[in-house]
Amino acid sequence: MTGFILRRLAQTVVVIALLSFFCYFLMTLMPGDPIDEMIAANPTMTAEDAQRLRELHGLDRPVHERYWNWVTMIAGGDLGYSRTYRVPVSEILGRSLLNTSLLAGAALVLSLLVAVPLGVWAALRKGSRVDYFVNLFAFAGISVPSFWIAIVLILVFAVYIPIFPAGGTTSIDFGMTPGEALVDRARHLVLPVLSLSFLSIGTFVRYTRAAMIDAMSNDYIRTARAKGLSWDRVLIVHGFRNALIPLITIVTLSFSTLFSGAIITETVFAYDGVGRLVFLSIQRNDFNVAMVAFMISVSWVLLMNFAADLLYGVADPRITYS
Amino acid sequence: MSAATTALGDAARQRLLEARPMWRIVLGQFVEHRMAVAGVCVIAFFLGVALFAPVISAVTGLDPNRQNVLARYQPLMSWEEASPSERELRVQRFLESGDRTALADHVRRLGLAGADLPQDELLYQLVSSNEPAQLLDLLRHGPTPDSAAAREQLAGFERVVEDFRSFHLLGTDELGRDVFIRLVYGTQVSITVGLLVALISGLIGLVIGSVAGYYGGRLDALLMRFTDTLLSLPILVVLIVVSAVDLGKLLGGTPLAFITGHEHESVIKMIIILCAFSWMQAARLVRGSILSIKEQEFVLAARVLGARDRSIIATHVVPNVIAPLLVAVTLGIGNAILFEAALSFLGLGIQPPTPSWGNMLHNAQEMVQHAPMLAILPGLLILFTVISFNYIGDGVRDAIDPRGIRR
Repeated sequence: MTGFILRRLAQTVVVIALLSFFCYFLMTLMPGDPIDEMIAANPTMTAEDAQRLRELHGLDRPVHERYWNWVTMIAGGDLGYSRTYRVPVSEILGRSLLNTSLLAGAALVLSLLVAVPLGVWAALRKGSRVDYFVNLFAFAGISVPSFWIAIVLILVFAVYIPIFPAGGTTSIDFGMTPGEALVDRARHLVLPVLSLSFLSIGTFVRYTRAAMIDAMSNDYIRTARAKGLSWDRVLIVHGFRNALIPLITIVTLSFSTLFSGAIITETVFAYDGVGRLVFLSIQRNDFNVAMVAFMISVSWVLLMNFAADLLYGVADPRITYS
Repeated sequence: MSAATTALGDAARQRLLEARPMWRIVLGQFVEHRMAVAGVCVIAFFLGVALFAPVISAVTGLDPNRQNVLARYQPLMSWEEASPSERELRVQRFLESGDRTALADHVRRLGLAGADLPQDELLYQLVSSNEPAQLLDLLRHGPTPDSAAAREQLAGFERVVEDFRSFHLLGTDELGRDVFIRLVYGTQVSITVGLLVALISGLIGLVIGSVAGYYGGRLDALLMRFTDTLLSLPILVVLIVVSAVDLGKLLGGTPLAFITGHEHESVIKMIIILCAFSWMQAARLVRGSILSIKEQEFVLAARVLGARDRSIIATHVVPNVIAPLLVAVTLGIGNAILFEAALSFLGLGIQPPTPSWGNMLHNAQEMVQHAPMLAILPGLLILFTVISFNYIGDGVRDAIDPRGIRR
């Protein structure tokens, strides 16, 4: 078990390291260079000044050297300085990371709460009208563009029936009590969470249904019924328990989809999270922020996958880590 | 002989005994999946729209790139008048597109404009001093010109004047362009990207999956570790970083440098990037099937007969993975369309003026309160297309599943 965890952890670290170099290399290929932008902002700067600045920031060095400098800087605990926000990267990052976790976590919980009962219901009434409509709903869920559902939600619940704010993370604070602030925060979360969960609900419903149909067609279900166990007990302990393993797989894989969805959702709702930070910082050539935000989001997803691998053992005692 | 069998007529018995080819069995299964059949119809319609986009444009006289700042954000089903400068521009284009002397002579004879004006001034004056409807009336109710050339030129000129008033079924966008024709061309772009990405990444997946599955061992472990890693990444985050790359900096000096500055640079770039990150599912699937196929007797038989690896993979293994690959490719089309739309929506994908469903939404987002239809329509088209491809994929999967085959 310990060996497995260590091996898996080492793999994850190697992947993260390789990705960071790959991403750093890509950043050098992006249009625009920080010094060029300084020249554009300050017309009195001469070519010599630009050259001096390039040398000062090490921008005239080859990529691998610059990458190594960046890694040593990060390792020393210095995440760099954001050019557009004019603050150290660490100051922006903490807040947006918290916001994204809140958004993604709430969306995951909501989609499981909706999808699992729906999937089980459809599986038990396989081939019926219920099954047909749940299926249609699930297909719509996996086929709808996330940004579009976000725009439609804004149109319906913020423009036509203005009950929720159309965007932002909080209202501007004019002496709100902590209770009011909490409600305000929650109100801003409703639409983004709805739009983000819509995507995963479709996937979860389909997999729950398939796994449940599979589990319920086993012989031990008939045996359990024959012994006179109650229907609920058969359903939960014998059926659902066995449908849980494929479900965990798909929940694991959905972390990456959830994060991808978070970028879109955060951008449309102007929600202050990591996904939006990656997007905006790349657009604004703020490479220090982009690098760190990218690495954090990728590492977060990879670590979640790792955690889910360990969860398998809990869900299915037959799995051993050797 | 039981009563049930004797009750069958000769023809029915013949049909039962007949050996049907595999594809007919599969087709029969597929047709039973009602939603998949509906999906095929929807896709056939969109494919038709995509193929005939230039024809639609020619018949309706609409141009996806024609802007009109005086008619921005027009509602559905609205008429729009071209501005005077736009009219002059179109007359100029008409004058430049061929010989117009016969037409000018005819107009002079009708006495509609000063007889001493040169040919181009004559037409400009005609257009600027008359309302389009009135002018058409004058042109049509005058005597028909004698020469065939003049008749033909007059008809062309009438068409130009008719176009001064244009009908916008779905309104106009933020630059006054017709939304309907942009959606038609957007269909062409989005479906092309979706199909090409799914096909190419299916091929990449086939190659990587068969190499990994057939040779096994260390190569397999390496390739599959790579595949799994890519699968576990938040793909959209990676795609955003990759698509922000300046192709000029990457391809400068290589044989692929022709892509930069190409008319469809952003479309080609999008296809390459999406292919690079969507072959993984296909590769896993192919590898999985090959692992089971390569243990079967016919592969052993081929090897005993002295067949080379290459020919075993190509003639014995690949035909057996076509079916699952087909499912992956069909589902891949929907995904590719969704990713293209998402990136274009963020402004990183297909660049205007080329319309795609995604970048139409990008522009619509800002004015969503005033012109909601601009945002709703492209999204609906994406939804219909992707859901159809997903249902088709589902239908194909059910149809080729040997467990599900009923006779």
